[in-house]
Amino acid sequence: MVNLEDLKKETKKILEEERVKYIIGYKRGSNGLMPVPAFIKNPEDVEKLIWDPACVYNLSRFLVDEKRRKAKEKKPDERAVGLIVKGCDSRALNVLLQEKFINRDDVYIIGVSCENTGIVDEKKLAKKLKGKKILKIEYSEKDNFVTTTEDGKTEISAQGILAERCLECRAGFPVIYDVFLGEKAKRKLDNPCKSLENIENLSGEERWAFWKEQFDKCIRCYACRSICPMCYCEECVVDTINYAVATDTTAEEKAQRIKWIEKSPVASENIVYHLVRAIHLAGRCIDCGECERVCPLDIPIRLLNKKLEKEARELFGYEAGLDPDQVSLISSFKDEDPDDFII
Amino acid sequence: MAEEFEPKIVAFLCKWCSSAGSDLAGVTRMEYPSNVVPITVMCSGSVSPLYIFSAFNKGADGVLVSGCHPGDCHYIKGNFYTRRRITMVKKLLEYIGLEPQRFQMSWVSAAEGTKYTQIIKDFVKELKPLGPQTKLRRNP
Repeated sequence: MVNLEDLKKETKKILEEERVKYIIGYKRGSNGLMPVPAFIKNPEDVEKLIWDPACVYNLSRFLVDEKRRKAKEKKPDERAVGLIVKGCDSRALNVLLQEKFINRDDVYIIGVSCENTGIVDEKKLAKKLKGKKILKIEYSEKDNFVTTTEDGKTEISAQGILAERCLECRAGFPVIYDVFLGEKAKRKLDNPCKSLENIENLSGEERWAFWKEQFDKCIRCYACRSICPMCYCEECVVDTINYAVATDTTAEEKAQRIKWIEKSPVASENIVYHLVRAIHLAGRCIDCGECERVCPLDIPIRLLNKKLEKEARELFGYEAGLDPDQVSLISSFKDEDPDDFII
Repeated sequence: MAEEFEPKIVAFLCKWCSSAGSDLAGVTRMEYPSNVVPITVMCSGSVSPLYIFSAFNKGADGVLVSGCHPGDCHYIKGNFYTRRRITMVKKLLEYIGLEPQRFQMSWVSAAEGTKYTQIIKDFVKELKPLGPQTKLRRNP
């Protein structure tokens, strides 16, 4: 169990030493259980910090915003940003470092271990407690969570309410950090791609029926793109205007630009959008599951990324986010890569 | 009698090998189905997955990506990158339920006009029973 007091002490120390601009962590939100990101500048504010199984957000996304903000400032504060990361978030940092999107000096990493458990799935929890308002959730001694509702405390088995991704997590502790809190514990996994099985066992037509229904739902709010720490492109292929329009750009030139994907949320365009997103995340997705969590229509986006993660591991022995110095999946190759499908 | 379905194939051919191979098939007057729309690209490695999705989206019944044989790439290793990327695209398309026959990859050298015609013949033969591709298609 990561002790909150230790976390507060560490962050306070770093802030007092003025090694960081600010620290991004979690604090209690106004809306019940789910915490909100906290940006802490003053050492006395560290009291607001919390750490519990509801701290789902992948805070590494804020580094993307931070980089953009810094680029606009005339005299940017060159100090690092402190970031509280879980295991999955730290892998995201590794990918950002690998792609040289951020420098190691830009970030001061406070790693917290999930220690064999993980974080809760809000929807699963609500179902379990049948809509009762949850006031507090804590890690318990065993493999359980203790939830406090208006009716008092209840102990719930972690397996039942853990987020899907945590159930399939290979390493529930940060792989890159400056300060580390907790223990490095690896959970035994029988099947790290269990969630894929249901779909993989279907026939081609059944799979299509499943995905068609899912993609039909998409309203193209791009929440999945906004939350993803890897979706940091300045220009996105789905945006209608993804080229520079200058004063001398003629109407004809604008009309002749390739519009890869139509803006309208119809199934055929949604599919291309999600396929492009999945393939752009191949070998980069670290399975933080944020895309699926923020989706207002509950599209299982994670299953697309997970599939490619599985293929990358099985076919090319590639795992994303474990080492900032490894060469990325699609900019490397081996002579023995599979080619049995090539005529 | 209803007209027989003629599939439309979009073929991304690399300039140095496959495109030259298809040219060879043409200049030696070999016969092969006219269902294929060849698009010459500088290297099979420059075929973005988006081109493939977009081809299906805009009405292709089948897509072929063809490059030089491993080791023969004009850019030394472009086709090795292609191989990895196309593997992922193929797995993804199969995963969402597109028929695996609709997306193929081949190695065709500049001297292999015959192989090119054979690939197209086989591809057309495989696509005909599948009927038109409507899954990824805009306004089918």
